[in-house]
Amino acid sequence: MKKNNVGRRYLINFIATVVFFILALVICGNGGSRMKLSIVPSIWQCCYLIIMAASLNLVLGFLGQLSLGHCGFMAGGAYSAALISLAFQRVGFYEEKSGIAFLLVLLLSIVAAGVLAALLGVLVGIPALRLKGDYLAIITLGFGMIIVNVINNIPFCGQQGLGQGSASSALYATGLGFSNDEKVQYLWVALLAVILCLSLMFMFVRSKYGRAIRSIRDNEIASESSGVNVNYYKVLTFTVSAFFAGVTGALYACSNAALATTSFAFTNGSILNSVFIVVMVVVGGMGSLTGSVIAAVVLFLLNYTIKNGAWVAALPAFLQNVFTYPMLVYSIALIIVIVFRPKGIMGSSEFALCDIPKWKGRLQQYFASRKAGKEEIRHE
Amino acid sequence: MKKRIISMILMLTMAVGMTACGSSGSGSESTETETTEETDAASEAEGDFVGTITLGMIGPMTGSLAVYGTHVSNGVLMAVDEINAAGGVMLSDGAYELAVSSKDDQGDSTECLNAMNALIADGIELVIGSATSGCTSSITSVANSEGVVLITPSGTADALTTEMDYVFRACFKDSFQGELAAQYAADEGYTKVGIVYCSADTYSAGLRDSFSAACETLGIEVVAEESVATMTEVDYTNQFNKMVSAGAELVFVPFYYDVTGPYLVPQARSAGFDGVLLGADGVDNTETTISEGTDLSVYNDFLFVNHYSTELATSDVSVSFVENYEATYGDTPNNFDALGYDCVLILAQAMESCGACDAESVQAALADTSVTYEVATGTFSFDETGTPIKTGVLMGYEYNEGDEEVTKIAVKTLSVE
Repeated sequence: MKKNNVGRRYLINFIATVVFFILALVICGNGGSRMKLSIVPSIWQCCYLIIMAASLNLVLGFLGQLSLGHCGFMAGGAYSAALISLAFQRVGFYEEKSGIAFLLVLLLSIVAAGVLAALLGVLVGIPALRLKGDYLAIITLGFGMIIVNVINNIPFCGQQGLGQGSASSALYATGLGFSNDEKVQYLWVALLAVILCLSLMFMFVRSKYGRAIRSIRDNEIASESSGVNVNYYKVLTFTVSAFFAGVTGALYACSNAALATTSFAFTNGSILNSVFIVVMVVVGGMGSLTGSVIAAVVLFLLNYTIKNGAWVAALPAFLQNVFTYPMLVYSIALIIVIVFRPKGIMGSSEFALCDIPKWKGRLQQYFASRKAGKEEIRHE
Repeated sequence: MKKRIISMILMLTMAVGMTACGSSGSGSESTETETTEETDAASEAEGDFVGTITLGMIGPMTGSLAVYGTHVSNGVLMAVDEINAAGGVMLSDGAYELAVSSKDDQGDSTECLNAMNALIADGIELVIGSATSGCTSSITSVANSEGVVLITPSGTADALTTEMDYVFRACFKDSFQGELAAQYAADEGYTKVGIVYCSADTYSAGLRDSFSAACETLGIEVVAEESVATMTEVDYTNQFNKMVSAGAELVFVPFYYDVTGPYLVPQARSAGFDGVLLGADGVDNTETTISEGTDLSVYNDFLFVNHYSTELATSDVSVSFVENYEATYGDTPNNFDALGYDCVLILAQAMESCGACDAESVQAALADTSVTYEVATGTFSFDETGTPIKTGVLMGYEYNEGDEEVTKIAVKTLSVE
């Protein structure tokens, strides 16, 4: 009976995903110029932010280790994907950005970006994960800075290469970089990548590996004494997480025609940096993949609409002045979330489609228990 | 619950407090809205504008490069005001007034791309932006594929305009600065020069390449060349010891103002180098970064190539620009103000010459290399890539013993023979 139930849940989720995927493609493919200019590029950005936040959640939420250099893996993936696609173009494997040859290169660069980032993950993971807590945070922070400096100083991919100028327009014209029209045409790549990556991450955390990892988070000594190889699982999680961050890098290279190492720094002006990804995981809820998805989308929309949305113009003048300083708005939003919901939007639970009918009952239960709690306090 | 309410109230108070500070600081935003309202009223009263042409503007209005963005914006808004006050832009079917729609990119390339797309979605076909080469490189390709004219006030990287028909700039390009610097060395009769630069940085390495290439053609020998790891290096002693032992008479130092003031110049002098130190436009503002207690005489003979100097600009446009700027903002204009101002003048002249304001006609007008533009930073015409052929200026620092100060001086106008 129980097994059937689980099977039905998988089936419903699968059908819902397929319907969502097809609907998104149909709607976006037939939209007007506003669709092409603002909505599709936004979806691309959401896609890489979602995978990024979810992959960091594996380390931060499920393994319980703080990593502050996650964008370093992404940088490795982005540059390797860009270089691979440019190399194939230069040897004449594909001429224009359509057809089977280009799709093969696209697939290869995405997978290769993931694999390279995973290798970096192993390299960093083996020495670093013997440490924990603050010390690990410092090592990963250092790694993020090292990789940016290494890329800067490699002559064919550093600032003189893909960073600026002709090579960035070359990346755009001949390599992975997509124009607005191509972003519409290849939207399915981004959506499919998100669906596949998220499904793999779900399977990973629900498997026996996932259970082992969560046991390490909850009590390292207890899990070690029950026979869990702590170091192995830590490096494994780090590697898996780095793989997905590398895939994100490839999507980033597609979405942004120009690569610059400042985009992958510890902090910078935008919402793509190691600190902000940590913020996304914390806001979404550590240990909830769906929470990371929600937080990535919400923070992206917040950032995007502050600058490009019409609703800011409708606010009274004194509030508009706050909104000319986006960083101030993020911090206020963060304070609100942490004050009112310290465990993040989703906590450690997941959003499930099949549980929607149960929501009414749960809400009633929640309010009843709150009321009871208040009564108790009053009695005391 | 009480605690939560109190914390909410505290937070709101903080936000409103910040706003109070913010509204006085963000002069440019408020000027913008006022301008639009004023011109609206004017057009209603007089009824002589046929319509409105909206120019897009992208720049780092907040973040670490906010100084660049706000100054460009000051220049742009002032030019728009002046043109509207003088009767707007005359197209084939009557006079149009100008308006500005401004977007913040925070100095980040993804934000810059979003801003560009949003402007295009609003139907804007003429865009001024962005302030840095890094941001601009992420939007040049969109401008070209969507057919929108992009003119960057201060993106100096060589390759920005080379492959893109719709991209122009108001400033000179990096390699030209290197040529100007080499020309100066040749004019002054130096035969042995040295270079200290940063190989990992586009700006620095690009300038070094063009400077040494120009030296070769001019017959100047580069006797020593040393690189440092980053643009924020704090120790240059070894590099300058080598310059001294190689006998360099002039050393080219393409760095930014944040290291030249406190580290590079004093260390070069204490290593025994007493010749001319020659920088590029990044050196401007060095006077703000000199550490207290430094022997100020070391800044003598520290020169740099720059876009524009208020003292050397003598044309009518430049003089009236400086006067108006000082009257409007109460401050002396810098490079970015002047270049932002020029972008608007260039676009307006191009629109008037073709009598239309759509991107295609304006692009064709701008691509005509025979047209001469007389603007605040000089008189020039575009080359075939969309970069102005213009002159630079040589500026430098001088120590006044009397008032114990280092002052910026304009030496002369430079041009390549």
